[in-house]
Amino acid sequence: MIGTYRRWTISIEDTEEVFFCREDQALLSGMVAMGKRGIPSGCHGGGCGVCKIRIAAGDYEVGCMSREHVSREEEASGIVLACRAFPRSDLRVEVVGKLAKNIRNPSASVKKYGFV
Amino acid sequence: MSVLRIGHINIRVLDMDAAVGHYTNVLGMEKVHEDENGNVYLKGWDEWDKYSVILSQADKAGMDHIAYKVSSDAALDEFKTKIADYGLAVEEEAAGVLPFVGRTLRFSLPSGHVMRLYAEKELVGTAVGNINPDPWPDGLKGAGVHWLDHALLMCELNPEAGINTVAESTQFMIDVLGFYLVEQVVVGPEGNIQAATWLSCTNTPHDIAFVGGPVSGLHHAAFFLDSWDDVLKAADVMAKNRVKIDVTPQRHGITRGYTIYFFDPSGNRNETFAGLGYLAQPDRPVITWTEDQLGRGIFYHTGELVESFTSVYT
Repeated sequence: MIGTYRRWTISIEDTEEVFFCREDQALLSGMVAMGKRGIPSGCHGGGCGVCKIRIAAGDYEVGCMSREHVSREEEASGIVLACRAFPRSDLRVEVVGKLAKNIRNPSASVKKYGFV
Repeated sequence: MSVLRIGHINIRVLDMDAAVGHYTNVLGMEKVHEDENGNVYLKGWDEWDKYSVILSQADKAGMDHIAYKVSSDAALDEFKTKIADYGLAVEEEAAGVLPFVGRTLRFSLPSGHVMRLYAEKELVGTAVGNINPDPWPDGLKGAGVHWLDHALLMCELNPEAGINTVAESTQFMIDVLGFYLVEQVVVGPEGNIQAATWLSCTNTPHDIAFVGGPVSGLHHAAFFLDSWDDVLKAADVMAKNRVKIDVTPQRHGITRGYTIYFFDPSGNRNETFAGLGYLAQPDRPVITWTEDQLGRGIFYHTGELVESFTSVYT
């Protein structure tokens, strides 16, 4: 079945990547479908928190997210999990999750003890 | 007096309908009960006790508790004394606190995970019964998993702060609950920090496992399949259902198991795990994986550690 959902343009400020995302598609899904990597990709279910972003500009809707990772206050200020956010206009986003350090400062993410 | 096997895992989900759909249609478990608080209970077709998964609606994903079945009601009293003597607070709960389950012991592992022990759960039988049974039942959905096989729990590990709850929880399982160490990963400049362990109370390579991470949590709950064909079919089922697969079918060096890692709709990681690996026994020499071969231990074919294995969990 060919969908007739509108498609929006999403820009990731940190990496200057741009990708398309349909209204029925979560931002993170749209990103991985186009092979982009700027937002860390994890569980895609709102549970692990690695895809935490701030919507800098644009309209969106959001599904349920684990309160372990996004509080109600954060959600109200435009901080969401990219796997639970659906675009309603073109969006500009910035990455705020803890894995964001890996992009800005790769040596900070070296695991000195195998797993940590 | 012994621990018999893994009994059940209670998983927190953000959207109950989506979760029930996943565990029934993708994994192929059967919903057997819903209690007055909306918790949903599920059973694998090849299990004989009432349920092995409890789903609970919550605003955070992760594991509420994990439970193991013990050999007798009298064993519960002996374990209660041993747990208390070890220095952990342990409560006894009356029969029925967990539906269809007799009295239970409730305590927290050194890593913070809540564990329960019980001796009685309602017996309902496997889907093929125990009189002249067929090898598998008709009407299985999705991957048709046999049973809940094990769980891997993330345990706070911070060597520079002197914190190693992997080692502490491991020692508790051995000294108090009678599990034995089957495989381990050692790290650090002297190769003497136990960063991951796989323990058994049966004869399979693991009934529980612990891996170090920045905070404690649930890495995955694993469900058993027989063969590579079943694993590959399960991968198709996941794709048909647009399930987020974490790692496509691969073999683990550790346990020799065939695996797919994937996520439920709330982001809790599941595994479909196949292959009995080898006969685990208390006198079998412990297998040790070194830090430099860690990738090979987890992902035998590629030998590369995937970032999500260590960073993504609930």
